[in-house]
Amino acid sequence: MKALIFNIQRYCIHDGEGIRTVVFFKGCPLHCPWCSNPESQSYKPEKVRVNSRCIHCSFCSMDPDECPSGAIEIFGKYYTIEDIIKEVMKDSIFYNTSGGGVTLSGGEVLSQAPFAAELLRELKRLGIDTAIETSGQGSTEGLKAMAENLDTILFDLKIMDADRAAAVLGADVRLIESNLRMLVESGKHVIPRIPLIPGYNMDEENLKAIARLVKELGLKEIHLLPFHQYGKGKYEFLNRKYQLKDVKPPSEGEVERVRNLMEGYGFKAVVGGL
Amino acid sequence: MLKDRIDLLKKQLFENKREISLERALLYTESYKQTEGEPVIIRRAKATANILDKVAISIREGELIAGNRTIKPRSGIISPEMDPYWILKELDTIHARPQDPFYISEEDKKIYREELYPYWAGRSLKDSINGKLRDEIKEAISLNIFKLNQTDKGQGHIIMDLSSALNNGLGYVVERVKRLSKSHPENDFYRAALIVLEASQRHILRYAKLAEQYAAREENETRRSELLEIARISSKVSREKPDSFHEACQLFWYLNVIAQYESNASSISTGRFDQFMYSFYKKDIEKGVPLEYIKEVLECLWIKMNDVVLIRSEESARYFAGFPTGYTVALGGLTPSGRSAVNELSYLCLETYQDVLLPQPNLAVRLNEFIERPFLNKTVETIRFGTGIPQIFNDEVIVPGFLNRGVSLEDARDYAIVGCVELSIPGKTYGLHDIALFNLLKVMELTLKEFKYSRDVTYEKIITRIKEKIDHYVSLMAEGSNIVDIGHRDYAPIPFLSCFVDDCLSKGMDVTSGGAKYNFSGVQGIGIANLSDSLYALKKIVFEEKRISFEELINALDSNFEGEEYEKLRIRLINKYDKYGNDNDEVDDIGSDILRHYNLQVEKYTNPRGGIFTPGSYTVSAHVPLGAAVGATPDGRKAREQLADGGLSPMVGRDRLGPTAVLKSVSKLDNYLTSNGSLLNVKFSPKTLEGQEGINKMANYLLAFMKLKIQHIQFNVISADTLRDAMLHPENYKGLVVRVAGYSAFFIELSREIQKDIIARTEHCL
Repeated sequence: MKALIFNIQRYCIHDGEGIRTVVFFKGCPLHCPWCSNPESQSYKPEKVRVNSRCIHCSFCSMDPDECPSGAIEIFGKYYTIEDIIKEVMKDSIFYNTSGGGVTLSGGEVLSQAPFAAELLRELKRLGIDTAIETSGQGSTEGLKAMAENLDTILFDLKIMDADRAAAVLGADVRLIESNLRMLVESGKHVIPRIPLIPGYNMDEENLKAIARLVKELGLKEIHLLPFHQYGKGKYEFLNRKYQLKDVKPPSEGEVERVRNLMEGYGFKAVVGGL
Repeated sequence: MLKDRIDLLKKQLFENKREISLERALLYTESYKQTEGEPVIIRRAKATANILDKVAISIREGELIAGNRTIKPRSGIISPEMDPYWILKELDTIHARPQDPFYISEEDKKIYREELYPYWAGRSLKDSINGKLRDEIKEAISLNIFKLNQTDKGQGHIIMDLSSALNNGLGYVVERVKRLSKSHPENDFYRAALIVLEASQRHILRYAKLAEQYAAREENETRRSELLEIARISSKVSREKPDSFHEACQLFWYLNVIAQYESNASSISTGRFDQFMYSFYKKDIEKGVPLEYIKEVLECLWIKMNDVVLIRSEESARYFAGFPTGYTVALGGLTPSGRSAVNELSYLCLETYQDVLLPQPNLAVRLNEFIERPFLNKTVETIRFGTGIPQIFNDEVIVPGFLNRGVSLEDARDYAIVGCVELSIPGKTYGLHDIALFNLLKVMELTLKEFKYSRDVTYEKIITRIKEKIDHYVSLMAEGSNIVDIGHRDYAPIPFLSCFVDDCLSKGMDVTSGGAKYNFSGVQGIGIANLSDSLYALKKIVFEEKRISFEELINALDSNFEGEEYEKLRIRLINKYDKYGNDNDEVDDIGSDILRHYNLQVEKYTNPRGGIFTPGSYTVSAHVPLGAAVGATPDGRKAREQLADGGLSPMVGRDRLGPTAVLKSVSKLDNYLTSNGSLLNVKFSPKTLEGQEGINKMANYLLAFMKLKIQHIQFNVISADTLRDAMLHPENYKGLVVRVAGYSAFFIELSREIQKDIIARTEHCL
C-alpha cells in the first residue's frame, strides 16, 4: 500500500500540541479558491518549475534529474507506511520532550483513508501522539477507521450554506456535518477550525451558523485561522489562476470581531490554532 | 535608584573611544630593567608588584564595586614582553583597522618605538617560541593547516578556586605561602607568590585610601556613605575573609583585576558563581539584607565585567572578534553528590542579567535531567532577549566525557566553562584550552589536490589519505603547542593566579610548570560541516553517479567554478546532494568518522606538564579567516568563502529541515570525545518564541537537545531586519548585543564581514 505525499515537514510548532511532524497527503476533493497549498489539490504527481530557484540555463530539458538547481521538481511522491514511519520517527525524541507527535494533513487525508488508518495504527503502536487536519469531505467509514487511532482531530468548517459551499468549494455540507457529528458522538477530541477569508466566509450569518453547530455539539474550543498570502508564489509556478491574489489578510479588528462573536457563544477562541 | 545607577555605569562604559594604555607595559619594563639576572618567576612577580603599587587607580561615579584595570573604561593594555613585534607593525593602523580598533596618541607611539620596543625586541615570549619551531611546523602554519594561539599574550583560560579564596580570605593565603616559603627557602615559586600576594594586599588598600579621600570631599551624603563602605570593605578584604555578599563580590573583583594585571590574558573566567557565592547570599538574606541591595551589587559587578577588553593583533582580532574577554559564568548544574545545583542565586543571576544585557558576563546554564522546570523556563525567557546569553551546556554528556579523561566524579560534576565554550574543572585545571585550531577542511583540500592526476583514485583512498594527513599534522600541531607551552613556563609564569589553582601550593609549582591537578592542552578540529558536505557530494557525483571525472571536478575547484558550465556544476553540488544538518546518516557519518579520527589522534599526545591533549570543536570567529585560507570545495563553497560557523553548526543556509534535524545531525558526532568543548549555533526567529507557549516549546526543545547528548547550544533570536538597520544606523544600536560564537559582542563593534555573517545566519530561520 502506498500513499501520494507531497511533503513531510519537521519542527512544526503551530499545528497541534508540542513539536510535531506534519505529513501532507496529496489530492483534495475540494477546490477552495484561497487554498494556500494549491500543489496539494491534484491526485497525481506534478512536474513544476520553481522560478525562484531557476538559474536559466541556456538549454532546459525539464528533467528533474538534470536540473542543477532543483527548480524542476516533481511534487508528490509515493510512500509506503514504512517510509513514512522511518521519516517521522526521526524526531521522536522531540515528541517525547514536548508532548508533540505526528499530524496528517493535506490535501485531504480522508481521500487516502485506508492508508492513513493503517499509518495511524502503526503510529499508535509506537506510542506517538496523532492528529489530523481535515475538511471532513470524504467517506464516513474511512474517517471512522482513522479515528480509532487519533488523539486530536482538527476539523475545518468553512461555508455552511449548502448551495454556496457546493458552488465555491465543491463541498457537501450535509456529509461534512454528519462526519463531524459522528466524530463528536464517538467521544473524540475534535477542535473545529474556521479559516477567515475576507469576502467568502466572514459574514455574520455564516459565522453564526458555524457557532450554532459547534454549540449544539457541545464543543468548547474553536480555532480561527486568518487568511494569508503565503501560497501566492505557488500559483505562479503551477501556472494557475489565483482568484485571491489581491485579497488582503483580515485586519486585527476584523479577527477580533470574530473572536468576540465566538466567545459570546462561550467558546475558547484561539487565533492561529494551537 | 537601582536603574539610575545601572544606566550611569553603562553609559560610562561607552563615553570614551577605546584607547591603548601603555601604563602597564611601562611599569612592567621599569621593573624588569632593575631585576636583570634574577629568576624569571621572581622578575615577573616583582614586575606585577610594581604595577600593583604604582598603576593609576580610580573609583568611578556611582560604583559600588571598586577596581579598574585602567582609568578609562575598555582601554587596551599591551604586553610587549610577550610580542613586541605586532604592536610595532600596527602602531599606525590600529586606530583604523576593521575589527576592534583602538586609538593611540602620537606621544605614546613615540614612547613605544623608542623605549618599549627596543628593550623587548629579541627577548620576548614570541622570540623564544619562534626560535624553537621547526620549519616543517612553520610551513604547516603558513599553509593555514593549523594555528597556534597564545604566542603573543599571557595565558588565561583558567578559573581560579574562588570558593576557597572567598571562604578563607587573602590573609589566609598570604600566611600559608609565608609558611611554605619559610620551610622551602630554595623554592622560587613560593618566593614569587609571596611578593605578588603582598603587593595585592597593598593594591587593595590603595583603593581603601582612595575611597576615603573621595568620601572626604564628597558632598552628597548618600554617595559619601557608599564611598566609606567601599573603603571599609576594601580594607577588610585585603586581609580578612569577606562575610557579606557585597564584600565577597568586592574581593572577587579585586582578585580578577590583579590576575589581569599579572597575565593580561583572555579568559580568566568566573566559574560557578551561583555556587561559590551562595553561602554569602544566604547569610545576607537570613540577616535581613534587602534583596534590592544584593541585586544592585550584582548588577554593578556584571557591568564591571565589560570594563576589561583584550587588545589583540589585527590577525588575532579576526579570529576572536569583538572582545570575548571570558567572564564566563556557569549556572546550575550538579552538586558534588549529583543533585541539581540550582539555587535562588542562580535565578537572581539570570534576573539581574535581564536588567543589564551586555556581552559580559557570558552566562551559561548547565542542563541536566534534574533541572527544575521553572529555572529552565527562566533560562529560555532570558535567551529570548536576543543577546545570545545564556548559552546552554549539557551535563549528561560533559560529565561522562570528563570521566573518560580520568577526572574524578566529584570534579567532573563541578565542571565550568572557560573562555567561550571550553570545559574546565574550576580551580584545578591549567588546560591551555585554546592553544591551537586545526583546519580539517584545508587537509581535505591538500589531499584532493594530491590525487588530481592519479589514475586509480577511489573514495576510500581519499578518506584514508585524509586520515594519514590528519595524523601527520596533528603531531606537528602537538609539537608546536608544546613549544608555546614551554614558552609560557620559561617566560610568563603566573604565580599570583597559581596560588588559587590546586595543587600549585602543595606542589610548590607554578601552573605553567605543571602545578595544577589537571593539565590538558585543548586543540580544536574545525570545518567538519564543509568536510562532510564536500566528501558526500564528491562521492556521489564522481564515484556513484559518475557524472563527471575526479580530475574534472578538481579542475572546476582550481578555477573556482568560473564559467557557465562550472557554475552549473556548483549549483548542482549545492542543491542536489544532501548536506550535514539535515539528519541524513550517509552525510553525517562522514564528518562523524573523520572528527572521531581527529579526536582519537589528538588524545595520543602529551604535554610537558604531564597532561594529555584533548580535542574540541569550536571556531570563535575563526571560520571567516580559516575559510579565507581554503580554495573552492566540492560542497559548492567558493574559494575564500567562510566555513560553517560555530564548530558543529551546519554550513549557513544548508540546513533545510529545521532545528530538530540540525540537532539530530550533530548528535551523530561522538560528542563525548570533544572534552575541550564544542559549539553549536542555532537561530530562531523571534516569532517562534512568542508567549508562554513559545517559552515552553523552546524549553522542550532544549530537553531533547539534552537527551541527544550534544555538549553545547546557543541561540541568536534577533531578526535580520533589526541587524541590517543596525549596520545602516549604528548610532541607534550602541547597546545591541549579539551572539558571535560562544560569546556575545556589541554588534556595531564587529567588522562588516562578521556582521554580514551574523545576518546570513539569522536570516536562515525556519
